[in-house]
Amino acid sequence: MNCEVAHERIVTGAYGELPDEQTHELERHIAGCPDCHREREELLALKVLANAHPVMEPTANLVARSRLRLEEALDALPPKRWHERLGQRMMNNFASLQAAPVAACLLLVAGAGAGSLGGYEIAQNRAAHTAAALSATPQTQTGQPQAGPAEIANISSIVRQPNSEMVEVRYNQVVPQRMEGSLDDPAIRQLLMLASEDSASAGVRDDSVGLLAAECRAGHGCQGAGIRDALMVALRYDKNEGVREKALQGLEPYVAQDVRVRDAVLEALMNDGDPRIRTAAINILEPVEADTSVRQVLHTVANSDQNPQIRTVSRQVLSRVPEIQ
Amino acid sequence: MNGTDRDGGSRGQDRAQARAPEMELIREAQGGSRAAFDALVRQYEHQVLRLALHLTGSEHDAEDIYQEAFLKAYRYIGNFRFECSFYTWIYRIVTNLCLDRLRRRKTRREDRAVIVDRSGDEIDLLASVSDDRSFSNPAKELDRKLLGEKIQAALDKLTPRERMVFELKHYQGLRLRTIGEMLNTTEETAKNTLFRATKKLRTQLAGLR
Repeated sequence: MNCEVAHERIVTGAYGELPDEQTHELERHIAGCPDCHREREELLALKVLANAHPVMEPTANLVARSRLRLEEALDALPPKRWHERLGQRMMNNFASLQAAPVAACLLLVAGAGAGSLGGYEIAQNRAAHTAAALSATPQTQTGQPQAGPAEIANISSIVRQPNSEMVEVRYNQVVPQRMEGSLDDPAIRQLLMLASEDSASAGVRDDSVGLLAAECRAGHGCQGAGIRDALMVALRYDKNEGVREKALQGLEPYVAQDVRVRDAVLEALMNDGDPRIRTAAINILEPVEADTSVRQVLHTVANSDQNPQIRTVSRQVLSRVPEIQ
Repeated sequence: MNGTDRDGGSRGQDRAQARAPEMELIREAQGGSRAAFDALVRQYEHQVLRLALHLTGSEHDAEDIYQEAFLKAYRYIGNFRFECSFYTWIYRIVTNLCLDRLRRRKTRREDRAVIVDRSGDEIDLLASVSDDRSFSNPAKELDRKLLGEKIQAALDKLTPRERMVFELKHYQGLRLRTIGEMLNTTEETAKNTLFRATKKLRTQLAGLR
């Protein structure tokens, strides 16, 4: 220990703030250092001298005067308004929460858990009610499915019974559901249209588009725009060429009478990446009255299609122009 | 065995028990109870006045500090979060007010190396003081009073912070850690400030040994 450190510890020790082990070390240093010994003596003398300016107890008069003055000042303060009291109480409660972070976290976790459990129970009850209602009425001629498309997570499988119009559709809501019905059933059709947009499973899309297209080719109630729209979407956007081919086949009966269908087929002829589909699109074009768009597309395809066979077929069709009015 | 001797554990228990009613008083005061606040004032008013009186040397100033400190406590008691003792919290308010007072005030007492007593003789305050003074001796009483004034003058030469630390340590007997809390600093800083204060005082009062 050097004298500089010793001088500091002398002050700390004189006021009882030095740890025992440092006190012992200091004593040993002072015993061998006259300067530090003198330093301690002077500090102790200072302490005695400082006591010549003693702390006086306040007189009773001073206490009474001070107290009276304070009471007058407190009485003169305006009472806290209700919103100030409320705000203070809320701050105190918040501070209590701040002082108990674990309790606050537990409270949040419990609240979130209770909310999730309640939501799950409600959804499950609703799904059970829906399944009960649907199973009680397997064939419905009118109306929408009990479960709207927004409430169905996805379609898991579509199975048509052999030699039958009956189809079983398995789909998922909160829990897996099952529905069985005829292809004419609007509820089944709605599920099939939903399945045609299922991005997860090409197989499900293929099954649903195939069934819908078959219904349309058979003339079974495809007059409604919903099914044709579903097939046109599949033709334009499905990534699977098999699904697009089936959609094209399903739209064939409507190329002549529905301009929207014709346009979708012409788009497929211009843009589809699969030459089989472009070829099929040419083949299903029927003569239409004064439709110049068909001739224009055929001209374009005849000149610019990458596939030589398609160019040839297009020229052949154009050569039969009098047949396409 | 002295009946008042106790081990640290039971002292801690007593302290905890003594704090329990104080906590209730504080909560009631936070809830708006004037009676609870008045009870708290009575618990601490002597300590507050004692500190303010010794620091300022003036009853008038001590009264002002008392007033300001407890009004502030009344206004902000809702912000007290029981993170420290109420004693530390109140003392923090008082020490800050005292520091402000010390900083604002100009030197009121003249430094007198030599003063004149009642008989007209000059007294050299720097001369050493005899140890065999008697309190019943008026002359010696005067010497004590003058000595006290000399010490007060030396204390006035400290910075407000040094003055405060020395006051709280030497005269009020607080731990350096508590002093650090009150002055919103560390124990180490409080210790260094005390060291500087004692060094200055020894220089100022060197002739009075």
